[in-house]
Amino acid sequence: MIKLSGIIKIFNSGRTNEFVAVGGVTLALEANRVTVLKGPSGSGKTTLLSLIGCMARPTSGRITLHNGLLSGKRFSGIGEVAEVEVTSLPERFLTEVRRQTFGFIFQQFNLVKGVTALENVMLPAYPLGEKHDTVRRRALDLLEMFGLKARAAARVEWLSGGEAQRVAIARALMNDPPVIIADEPTAHLDSKLSVDFMEIIAKLKAQGKTTVIASHDPLVCGAAMVDRVIAVRDGRIDGEGP
Amino acid sequence: MIFKWIEKHRSILDFTLSSLLRRKGKNLSLFAVYALVVFMLASAMFLTQAMKREAALVLKDAPEMIVQRLLGGRYDPIPMEYVEKIKSIRGVVSAAPRLWGYYYDPVIGANYTLMVPRSDAPASEKIVIGNGISRTRMIYRDDILSLRGTDGMTRSFTVAGEISPESELVSADLILMAETDFRGLFDFPADRATDIAVSVRNQKELLTIARKVADLLPDTRPILREEMVRTYDSVFDWRGGIMIVLLLMALLAFAIFAWEKASGLSADEKREIGILKAIGWETADVMIVKAYEGLLISFFSFTVGILTAYGHVFFFSAFLFVPAMKGWSVLYPDFRITPFADPYQVAILFCLTVMPYTVATIVPSWRAAIIDPDAVMRS
Repeated sequence: MIKLSGIIKIFNSGRTNEFVAVGGVTLALEANRVTVLKGPSGSGKTTLLSLIGCMARPTSGRITLHNGLLSGKRFSGIGEVAEVEVTSLPERFLTEVRRQTFGFIFQQFNLVKGVTALENVMLPAYPLGEKHDTVRRRALDLLEMFGLKARAAARVEWLSGGEAQRVAIARALMNDPPVIIADEPTAHLDSKLSVDFMEIIAKLKAQGKTTVIASHDPLVCGAAMVDRVIAVRDGRIDGEGP
Repeated sequence: MIFKWIEKHRSILDFTLSSLLRRKGKNLSLFAVYALVVFMLASAMFLTQAMKREAALVLKDAPEMIVQRLLGGRYDPIPMEYVEKIKSIRGVVSAAPRLWGYYYDPVIGANYTLMVPRSDAPASEKIVIGNGISRTRMIYRDDILSLRGTDGMTRSFTVAGEISPESELVSADLILMAETDFRGLFDFPADRATDIAVSVRNQKELLTIARKVADLLPDTRPILREEMVRTYDSVFDWRGGIMIVLLLMALLAFAIFAWEKASGLSADEKREIGILKAIGWETADVMIVKAYEGLLISFFSFTVGILTAYGHVFFFSAFLFVPAMKGWSVLYPDFRITPFADPYQVAILFCLTVMPYTVATIVPSWRAAIIDPDAVMRS
């Protein structure tokens, strides 16, 4: 479970252009569920997603990762823990928790241009110091799982939109994280590819992964495998759907 | 643990290499400017060192003291009777008159140094010549060289041999000949010599003996070998120094260029750093990539710069710098310097070039590396 208590995120605090992106959110996200944060542009769902994924720290409030997400994970400097309050962790530990717990799928895919699909998938594992051959084999397995083994040596700018997104998903899974964070994953996909994406999410759910998606796409919000839709507006929770 | 560290660095190095190759244009231009700066600094350094070394070689066998006669504050041939007077000073082992002078050859527009050796002088009408003269005039053993005397008469000399090229700095323009030929050519008075070479028993008494010579023969000037070494050193240091100062400007320009290149990270590079941070790279990991980038560029630029400078100075006669460094008296077309490189000086050059580059690039790289990982989400 991921628990958010009284989360506030203010950008440019104290300046004339101060902006409250998240204005006091308390929320519990269950493990092995697909949760969608739904809301219009500027509603604060992406900021909320980056706070959940330990990419940014809240201005105030606490975020705790509970048992179930952390089982079997061992963090250097922290050790094996049942739960961890991430908001107070130093940057190094926070990065490690993020690396081991979350896999990110971005709206623009955010693949590194000029290198191959295979190397893009391998990138999250580089700082871990695993054997290069092991990392390479695991990345190839992931590409095979998404039907992209033949495109492994292709540079990412040569890939189609659907292929690029599947590479981005493979990259998100590279360190075998228990939680997948996806920000507007279908924004640049047509309906067929959007449905394909949601099928992949269903498979990941079946494997025990927890998924948090920020989207206002009806294809995502209405997908059968989605357990929970949380409406976000003006940086606050504005109701909940199935 | 150590294997993990090695694997991590191996993977990051792998990624760094592919990053460098992706930005070929930028990195090649940086490499070219960097290598050029190293080349220029190293050329000036190698040349200065080599010239000083040549000078030291020349002076190694020079007499401990030379006594010249002055007339009206200017040099004048010294009377032969002074030899015995100098010998009479306690502590003087030997005093030998020397005969030498300059001859301008209008055919190639160069000055020769004509000299009568103290021992093994060539027979009359025979000469031994330096390599520079041999190369330029294309005359070899048994060829004839004609020189015009001060009386307007041309005298012909047969080349009996060439001087060994151990130090071309002086031997390149040198002609050794018999005393009678020398005096005849220049109409040099029989009771005079160019100067007197003196050697002493105890080096510590050199200054005292020099003072005694000056007291005994007030119209003379004693010159010590150490003074000559110092003069040569300061002449080459001064010439080299001027070049280094000019080149330091280039170094400064290079530091600004490197700063601009590193701080002017393209939008693509910033985005890439953001992606790496977002997928779990720490600031330190990104800094490792930047450090490897700097090291690889530095290493290759420095190596190429040093090697081309070595080739330029020792195999291509430093043709770019030679007018500023060698001076007028030894300007021969194929003048070559004996190859020599001092590891200490190379290490200094390494610090002079690699350090400014590292310092110029580290701050902008760090500023890019501390980008918030969620910047990618917000872009």
